[in-house]
Amino acid sequence: MPFMKGREPIRRTLKYLNAGKLVLKDKVRIFSVNYNTYGDHHAGARDFVFWNIPQIQFKNPEVQVLTLKNMTPSPFVRCYFDDGRDMLIDVDSRNRDDIIEHLVKVVGKTREQLDAEERLKESKDNPANFGYGCGRHCICEIPGQVPCPGTVPLPDHMRGKVKFAPK
Amino acid sequence: MSRRGLLLMGQCMPCIKQNASKIRIRRMELDKNLNMYFKKDEFYFAHDPQKVCKTGDVVLIRELPERLTRLITHNVEKVVYPLGDITDPLTGKKVVVGKYREDIEMANQLFGKSEKAFDYEKAPPRGRLEGTKDFTHGETYIKYHEDGKDQPFAV
Repeated sequence: MPFMKGREPIRRTLKYLNAGKLVLKDKVRIFSVNYNTYGDHHAGARDFVFWNIPQIQFKNPEVQVLTLKNMTPSPFVRCYFDDGRDMLIDVDSRNRDDIIEHLVKVVGKTREQLDAEERLKESKDNPANFGYGCGRHCICEIPGQVPCPGTVPLPDHMRGKVKFAPK
Repeated sequence: MSRRGLLLMGQCMPCIKQNASKIRIRRMELDKNLNMYFKKDEFYFAHDPQKVCKTGDVVLIRELPERLTRLITHNVEKVVYPLGDITDPLTGKKVVVGKYREDIEMANQLFGKSEKAFDYEKAPPRGRLEGTKDFTHGETYIKYHEDGKDQPFAV
């Protein structure tokens, strides 16, 4: 089984994409990174874009993630919020890890918020639900409930065709 | 909810509509097979009666609460980076792709400026040559009929 094609194909694995640490706050709509393709002080920004932009977009599918290249002498990250205001983050001569850490602290959702959201999403574990994707397929399986009309016919007073039949 | 179209940033494209500008929004789309993101273009028409945004500017557009026409769904909120005249947000100075204009002027003073060089102070705002030499404000098409009239946008 050959290696995956391309430069650093680990970036293209689901495990890597899911391991992204930055989940942007709900207020953030646009996440833009301005950097140059040359210059030592942009190296951190370039690494950040190379390694972490797919993770950010994966964790935040509703946010528009933009990269703008070769526009200004120093790199920066700009996040735009709901009301049109923006937040400017200077990443000149910063390491990739420093950038991620700072972003998580400033515009990322906290650990508690993420945990709370995950707990809400676990509807599969709610035993009150039936149907596709849930523990039990139908309520007729439970002893004490009305048995499945596929096996045992319903009593006449519960059958629509008998109740509303013209006399 | 529809969060996707609320606030977007894109580049202005040539457009012939009078009150609107065509904006290209670049979004990243995940290819499920490769697990890789590819750029995908979407075009929106943004209401812009004074034509503040010219072709090539990066603008911020916001969805209108009620669309103006069938096609004009957004409103130009702010021109973030006008083409050729970008202000570095960190320092507030004008830049030219990676160099400050002041640095270029200093170098010009030391080494001598060419007569044909572009002078940023004396240059008029963008749009001076729009009818005569600059044809980026309208969409181009392949010439399909030669009728003797001048067709500046025909390629």
